[in-house]
Amino acid sequence: MGVEFPDPGRTPPAPRPSRVRAAWIPLSFLGPAFALLTVWMIYPAIRTILRSLWSNQGNKFVWFQNYSTMFGDSVIHTAIKNNIIWIAVGPLSVTLFGLVLAVLTERIAWASFFKIVLFMPLAVSLFAVGVIWRIMYQQNPDQGAVNAGLNSIHNVFNTPGVLPRAAPSSPAVTDKFVFTKQLSAGGTATLGLTAISPQDVPAGATQAAQPKSKPGSITGVVWRDFKPGGGKPGVVEQGELGIPGVTVALLQNGKSTNTAKTDNHGAFTFDGVSGSGYQVKIAPATFAQPWQGVQWLGPSLITPAMIIAFLWTAVGFAMVVIGAGLSAIPRDVLEAARTDGASEFQVFKRVTVPLLMPVLTVVFVTQMIGVLKIFDIIYATAPGSVINNATTLTFEMWRRSFLGENAFGIGAAIASFLMLLFVPFLIYQVRSQRKNL
Amino acid sequence: MSKRGWFVLTAIALGLSLVAAGCGGSSKKSSGGGGTTAAAQVKGTISMVAVWTGPEGAAIQAVLNGFKAKNPGVTIKYKAAKDPGQVLTTAVQGGNPPDIAALPSPGLMKGFVAQGALKPIDFAKSDISSNFSADWLKFGTVNGKLYGLFFKGANKSTVWYNVHAFKNAGVTAPKDWKDLLASAKTISASGTPAYSIGGADGWTLTDLFENIYLRTAGAAKYDQLADHKIPWTDPSVKTAMKDMSQVLGDSKNINGGASGALQTNFPDSVTAVFTNPPKAAMIFEGDFVPGVVAGQSKAKPVTDYNVFPFPSVNGQGAGDVVGGGDVIVMFKDTPASEALIKYLATPEAASIWAKRGGFSSPNKNLNLSVYPDDITRTTAGALAKAAVFRFDMSDLAPAKFGGDAEFTDLQNFLKSPSDVNGAAAKLEKDAAAAYKAGG
Amino acid sequence: MAVAEVRQPALRDEAHETLAVRIAKLPVHLFLLLIGIMWLIPAAGLFVTSLLPAATANARGWWHVFSKPSEVTFANYRMIFHNSAITHALVVTAEVTIGATILPILIASLAAYALAWIEFPGRDWAFVTVVGLMVVPIQMALIPIFSLYNTLNLYDTVLGLILFHTAFALPFAIFLLRNFFAGIPRDLMEAARIDGASEWRLFFKVVLPLGLPAIAALAIFQVLFVWNDFLVGFTLSQDNQPIAAALAGQLRQFGSNLDVIAPASFFSAVIPLTVFALFQRYFVQGLLAGSVK
Repeated sequence: MGVEFPDPGRTPPAPRPSRVRAAWIPLSFLGPAFALLTVWMIYPAIRTILRSLWSNQGNKFVWFQNYSTMFGDSVIHTAIKNNIIWIAVGPLSVTLFGLVLAVLTERIAWASFFKIVLFMPLAVSLFAVGVIWRIMYQQNPDQGAVNAGLNSIHNVFNTPGVLPRAAPSSPAVTDKFVFTKQLSAGGTATLGLTAISPQDVPAGATQAAQPKSKPGSITGVVWRDFKPGGGKPGVVEQGELGIPGVTVALLQNGKSTNTAKTDNHGAFTFDGVSGSGYQVKIAPATFAQPWQGVQWLGPSLITPAMIIAFLWTAVGFAMVVIGAGLSAIPRDVLEAARTDGASEFQVFKRVTVPLLMPVLTVVFVTQMIGVLKIFDIIYATAPGSVINNATTLTFEMWRRSFLGENAFGIGAAIASFLMLLFVPFLIYQVRSQRKNL
Repeated sequence: MSKRGWFVLTAIALGLSLVAAGCGGSSKKSSGGGGTTAAAQVKGTISMVAVWTGPEGAAIQAVLNGFKAKNPGVTIKYKAAKDPGQVLTTAVQGGNPPDIAALPSPGLMKGFVAQGALKPIDFAKSDISSNFSADWLKFGTVNGKLYGLFFKGANKSTVWYNVHAFKNAGVTAPKDWKDLLASAKTISASGTPAYSIGGADGWTLTDLFENIYLRTAGAAKYDQLADHKIPWTDPSVKTAMKDMSQVLGDSKNINGGASGALQTNFPDSVTAVFTNPPKAAMIFEGDFVPGVVAGQSKAKPVTDYNVFPFPSVNGQGAGDVVGGGDVIVMFKDTPASEALIKYLATPEAASIWAKRGGFSSPNKNLNLSVYPDDITRTTAGALAKAAVFRFDMSDLAPAKFGGDAEFTDLQNFLKSPSDVNGAAAKLEKDAAAAYKAGG
Repeated sequence: MAVAEVRQPALRDEAHETLAVRIAKLPVHLFLLLIGIMWLIPAAGLFVTSLLPAATANARGWWHVFSKPSEVTFANYRMIFHNSAITHALVVTAEVTIGATILPILIASLAAYALAWIEFPGRDWAFVTVVGLMVVPIQMALIPIFSLYNTLNLYDTVLGLILFHTAFALPFAIFLLRNFFAGIPRDLMEAARIDGASEWRLFFKVVLPLGLPAIAALAIFQVLFVWNDFLVGFTLSQDNQPIAAALAGQLRQFGSNLDVIAPASFFSAVIPLTVFALFQRYFVQGLLAGSVK
C-alpha cells in the first residue's frame, strides 16, 4: 500500500522524532472521551456510592442504614436469589448451546440461513422479547402457544369431556354425579346439571321431560337444570333443555352393569332391570377437565420462563461468535489429530475446545454481564402479581428509585452492591488486557 | 401499575367519538350563565402543567380557551406531562415551577405544601364552596388553608356487567351485597362465571376492598384507616375482608379461578366480560371501564354493557363513592392565575369538557344533561351527588404501601381468602413499616 | 490480528459426500430444523398477532387465524402510523440512534488512535481504565445522571439520551478500535510519519480508512443497542421517549392492547433486523477482531 494517500505537492518538512510529542496532542485526541467518561461514568459511580449513605430524601446522612434495610428486605432476598439463578443457569447454557449449534452448523449446507434465523432475536429489543414471550406463555392453552403445544401432546392421552364445567344442580346428585336415591325396577332418576353455558349445550338439545316410570326398566333424564332466574333446582321445568349424548352408567353394589346414552330430550332407559339396589351415575368422562396449562407466568416458574426467553435472544449470538472462532482454527491441526487416529469426539474435546477457549470465555463473560444487567424482560414479561417473585437486583434498584417510591437511598445502595458484583469481571477484563499491551 | 392510565384511556375512547362533534374548541360562546363572578379582565401569561394529552389535551385546551375568551389579554402556555408529579418535583427543585398545575392525587398536593412550594387559594373559597360539596372543599385544604380545586373526578364505585349474561341468567342489577351474591350464584348456574377480577394488577383488589370498607365501616373509620390511625387488624377491617372473601373465596365463580385471576391484568379482565361469548358476567371497577371496552371489544353501551352503582352492604352506604380526582394547584400567585382558578371552579368551565365526554365533574351545580350519554350521566351524577365521597385509600397511603405492599398482600388474600386474620396481620405489618418510613 | 483472516465457516465439500455420510447427518439436519422452527415461532406469533383486530387477538391464540385467515388486517399498522405517540417515538429513536452511533465512534476512534499510536506517559493505565469501565453497569449511573440531567435541563431531551449512550458506548468502542488500530503495520505508520504527516493527518488519512471494517462492526452493534434501548430512554425521558420505552408506556396504560404493542414492536424490530441482515458479516468479524486475539 505504501504512502499512497494524496499529498498535494507539499515539500516534506524535515523528519521529526515521531515518538515524543507535545502533551497537547494526546490530550486533544483523548480529551472528548476523557470528559464524557468522567461525567457519565466515573462521577456517577462515586456519586452513587456516596448517595447510598444518605436517606431516601437525601437530607440526612444515615451511614449504612440503607444497606441494613436492604439486606433485611425479603423482596431483595428474592432478587439476590434470582440473580444467582440467572448467573448460574443463563451464561453457561447460552455458551454450551451455542457451542453445540456452532459445531453442528459447520456440517450443513444451509448454515447461513440457520444462523440468520437464530441471530434474529438479538436485533429485537429485549422489551419486545418480553412482550413476545408474555404472549407465548399465556396459561390458557387456547391462548398461549407454549401451552397449546404441550396441550396437543397431552390430548393424545386424555380427551376432555363435553361438559367440563358442569356441576350438580341439587343435593339429589352427589359431586361424583351419582343419583343419591337407590332405585329398583320401575324407578326414575332425575340428574340435573347446572353451570352449563347456553353455547356449551350440545347441538340438538330439546325440552327435557320428567321421566315416566316403566315396569322392568329404570328411566331417567339428564338435563340443564337452569332457566333464567334459576328455576327450581331438581325439578324439570318448561324452558330447560335435555342434554343429548351423555353416557350414563347403571350401578349395582357400586359396580357398573350397563350403560346408556341420552337422547335429544336428555332421556335414557335401562331395560330388563329386576330387583332393587341400583344406582345411576353419569360417566366421569363427560366432566373430564381440559388441561389447565402450565402456569409459566406464575410465581414459581417465572424466572425459568424468563431465562428461556433470554436463551432465545442470546444463543444466536453465542453460536455465530463461536462458529467464527471454529472456522479460524487451522484445519491442519485438526487433520493432524485425525490422522493420529483420534475419534471425532476426542478431536473435539482435546483440540477444538482448548483452541476455542478464548472465544468461549469471551462469550461466557459477555453473557454474564448481560445477565447481571437483565431488566427489560422482567418489566415486559412478569405480570404485576409476580413482580416480587421475578425481580432481580437491577430491577429492584430501578423500581425503588424510579417507580413511585423515589427511594433513591435504597436504590443507590442496591446499585453500589451491584457494582461490587461486577468487580470480578472488572479484574478479569483488566488482567486479560494487560497481557495484550 | 398506573391507575392514571385508565383515566387517560376513558377520554381516548369516549372522547374520540366526540371529538368531531365537540370540535368547536375555541367557541367564544360559553354555555352557562357565566356571570357569577363579574371579575375584571386580567392580563399576563400563565404556564400550566397537567397529565392530559390527546383528546384530553384538546379538551383542557377548549376549557382554557373559554377563559381566554373572557380575558383576551391572557396567554396560557399548557404543557402535558405523563407524570406531572415527577416533572413538578424537578421543576420545584430547579426553581422554575409553572404557575398552575393539575395533580393526579391529593397526596402530591400535600407533599408540595410541605415543601412550601404551593400558594394558598383562599381567595377562591367562596366560589368553590358554592359549587362543590363540603367533602371536596375539605380534600383541598391542608392545615386550615385551601390549596386545591378538584376540577376532574373519577368514580370507582361502579360495577360493569354484560347485559346478555345477566339476561341469560335472568338476573337484574343488584341493590345490596346480599342480592349481588345471590345473583352471582344464579349467574354461575347459568353457565357463566359471575366475576372477572384483574388480580395481576393489585389496585383492582384495593378498589374492591375500599368500596366494601367505606360501606361497612363508615367514612370516619375510612379516614382513620387511610391515615393509619387504626391498625389493619381492627375488627372493622376484618369484617370488610370477610365480605370481600365472599367474592374472592367463590373461586369457581371467578373467571379462571383465583389463580387465573392473579395472572389477569385489568384490561384482560374487562375483555373477559365483554367478549362474545362472555367468560364472566361482571367486573368491579371505575368509570374508566368503558374506555377499555371500546378499545378491546365490539360491545356497545346499554345494549351490550351497562353499569350499576356499587351496592350497599347490609343496607349501608348506598350511593357512597370511592374515587379520585385531579386537583388544580397554584405555584405562583398572579392576578391571572387567580382569575383562572376562579374560572375553573364554575360549572361553565366544567361543562366545556363534560360535553366532549370522558369527563366527570365533581361540580354539583353542573347540569347533568350536558353529559353526552346515559352511562356517563349515571357515573358522573353519582360522583357529584354522593353524600359521602372518599379518595381511593391506596392513593393516600405512602407509595410503598398503597402502590406496592398492599397490592401484594391483597393478591395473597385472593390466593387464600379464608385467612382473614393472616391477611390483616400482614397488611398491618407492611402498613406500619411504610407509614413509619413516611410518605 | 488482521480481520481478513477470519472467514465465514467453510462449507466442507458437500458435493463429495457419500450417501452414507449424508444419511448419518440426517439427525443433525432434523435437529437443526426443529431448533430453527422453535426459534421462528415466537417471532411469527408476534407478526401474526400484529395483524389481528384487538378483540380477536385477546380472545384466542394467534395461530387460530390459520383456520380463519379472513381476520387478517393491516388496520393495526395504519393505526400506529396515526398514533402520534408511536410515530414521535420512532423519530426520537432515529435521532438518538444516529447521534449515539456517530458520536461515540468519532470520539472513540480519536482516543483509540492515541492509545495505539501516540506514546505518552500513563498510556497503559489509561487503556486499562477504559477496559475496566467496560463492565460498569448502566444502572449504576441512573440515579446521579437523573439528578444531573434535571439540573442541566437535559432530562427528556434527545441530546441527553445521545450523550448518555455515547459515554456508555465509549469503553467498548475504544477497546475494540484500539486493538484494531494496533494491528495496522508499523511500517505504514512510520513511512507516513517520515513523510511529515501530522498526527491528525495520519488519523484521518491512514488509520480511519484502514479501520473501516471495525468501525462498521461497531456501528452495527451500536445501532442495534441504541435502537433497542429501553432502560435509559424510560428513565431519562418522558415525552421524548424512544420506541421501546414508549411501548412500555403503552403497555402500562393499556395493559394488553396488543393491537398497538404487537405491530409497533414488530415494526420497531424491522430496522435493526435490516441493518443486521445487511451487515452481519462485518458484525461478526468486528466482534472477533476486538475480543479474540
